[in-house]
Amino acid sequence: MLVFMQSLISGILIGGVYALIGIGLTIIFGVMRVINFAHGDILMIGMYMTYSLFTFFGIDPFVSIVITIPLMFMFGAFLQKVFINRMQGALPQNQILLTIGLGMIMSNTMMLAFTSDYKILSTDYSSSSIKLAGISISTPLAISFLITAAITAMLYWFLLKTDTGQAIRATAQDREAAQLMGINVKWMSILAFGMGSALAGTAGALISPTYYIFPQIGSTFTLKAFVITVLGGMGSIVGATIGGVIIGIAESVSAVYISSGWKDVVVFVLFLLVLLFKPAGLMGKSRM
Amino acid sequence: MTRNLLALLLAASLAVPGMASAAPVKIGFINSITGPEAPIGENLTNGVTMAIEDLKKKGVEVQLMKEDDTGKPQISMSAMEKLAGQGVAGVVGPYTSACANAVSKLAEKYKVPLLVPAAAKEEITRQGLKYVYRLNAPADKYASSLIDAALVMGKPKTIAFIYENTDFGTSTVKTAKEYIAKKGIKMVADESYSKGSPDYRSTLSKIKGQNPDLVFMVSYVADAILLMRQSREIGLQPQAFLGGGAGFTTVQFAKETTISNNVFSTTQWTDDVSWPGAKDFFNRYKAKFGKEPTYHAACAYQAMLIMGETASKNGGDREKTKAGLKSGSWKGIMGDTKFEDYDGFTNQNKHQMLVLQIQDGQFETVFPTNFASKKPIFPFPKWK
Repeated sequence: MLVFMQSLISGILIGGVYALIGIGLTIIFGVMRVINFAHGDILMIGMYMTYSLFTFFGIDPFVSIVITIPLMFMFGAFLQKVFINRMQGALPQNQILLTIGLGMIMSNTMMLAFTSDYKILSTDYSSSSIKLAGISISTPLAISFLITAAITAMLYWFLLKTDTGQAIRATAQDREAAQLMGINVKWMSILAFGMGSALAGTAGALISPTYYIFPQIGSTFTLKAFVITVLGGMGSIVGATIGGVIIGIAESVSAVYISSGWKDVVVFVLFLLVLLFKPAGLMGKSRM
Repeated sequence: MTRNLLALLLAASLAVPGMASAAPVKIGFINSITGPEAPIGENLTNGVTMAIEDLKKKGVEVQLMKEDDTGKPQISMSAMEKLAGQGVAGVVGPYTSACANAVSKLAEKYKVPLLVPAAAKEEITRQGLKYVYRLNAPADKYASSLIDAALVMGKPKTIAFIYENTDFGTSTVKTAKEYIAKKGIKMVADESYSKGSPDYRSTLSKIKGQNPDLVFMVSYVADAILLMRQSREIGLQPQAFLGGGAGFTTVQFAKETTISNNVFSTTQWTDDVSWPGAKDFFNRYKAKFGKEPTYHAACAYQAMLIMGETASKNGGDREKTKAGLKSGSWKGIMGDTKFEDYDGFTNQNKHQMLVLQIQDGQFETVFPTNFASKKPIFPFPKWK
């Protein structure tokens, strides 16, 4: 029972970070209908940003998100304005090629700048934990979960209550109709890509104290982000949140009860089952 | 005609022992100079460079023929073919197991003595190849030396394995499993993982539930740090952590003292060992290249010394060099070296693996006792 609770809690904590990655991808897809294959690489940029701020300026990784979020937002907005925007409405495979290409440029630039060596960010709390009724909770993971929860809550509030948020949602629901209602959809796209990038960058910042950093790390997370968003329903923020936590728990529990070598199999079987019975994802509305 | 006569004369002078210094002896060196293994390959190249200089001081002129295999077996094989055609007396290298294994069969085919300095795969010297020699200890010694050390220090009854599901991880653990079966230790967990997952906590808490006496891990640098960090979080508390792989012997790992202290690992060579010239080699290497040598550098240095001496003594003749390697014995920075046939191995040096323990962020040799620089700390102290 203790082992089960332990794995469940680890799964939820890591799932929170996954959710953040998934939400970023789902916002971008929802508003722009562009599948961002550079999502993992944007996350990687966020990791290196956190790493640099920590090693050169001594800024704590969790504090540094105050700097990372706006910088990553601007980076995403720049990408949208300069590259992605030109491909709006183009064939999906062209958009995919563009984002894959951007991702490769990012990872190779980082390789030139930082070499391909693994970087480890060691803070004094990197391997500390809190004991709670026999279950140990990783301090950095717990902090990052709390930050994730706060950011997600703020995001919901922004999207539901503010005018800009509602305009973003309107664009996501029907681009043409939104434009007819006087919403500046181009601006909304920039905003959405900026937000998506900021979320991915934040997720990168949040896991860097407990993980390691190297230029090719992006692909792992791109794949994960896809599974999460498709599982939850493309374009659905609630779906991405749930999807992230489900994947986190599935990985963690299957590592204990089956084998850590098999956990990816479990995740993908689960993924296939959801697609089989609910092709649009858990929270998705079928567009057929 | 005159040219033929000259060649004959030259050959005669080469064949006479003691006159070897008259003409340089050709020795091939295959190494991963570029490619993903290049950072380690650099150590081998530097070791060989130092060996050539030292040979020169002894009056042995070596004409070194360097070949880059970029870490790929097929390129390594064509390098070997090229060298065989250029009339080398012998070849030192290649670095990686995959390359060395591929090249070993070619060495036999072309009858070129091959001295493998640092590749660990057991199979290389287990195929009964007469022209293939190996200086370093094969992979099975990694596991057995660690387990032996644990058995000297205490009475462990159970062991848990956690390792990367690659060739490197699974093969090391396979030999470890065979060894513990002989020693009567029970395996309570057998967990392989795919490298790069951010969370090993659940696997580790499963292992913790079994309460093993020993935890044996095989992984590269980044995962080694992650695994130990998360072991601390979970409170996994065995009598000893045994690091059976590359990641646990790096300076980067040792620097993370909160999690790396008191972890055991194993290596082929260190500078504080009492083998003749080890400390001197370390100092000269550091002065020359501005970096500390790894065990690869020491292996390559000693391998080139042995090959250079033997080949020049035998006038660059391949058959005689092969016989010379077989019958000779050496004493140097790698301890006593002799190529023997035992336990299914052919021409394998019975190299003594050293067991290290990280104490205050430094690697200290703790086993075998006659080479030890510090006493081992056992059992593993309670996590703070």
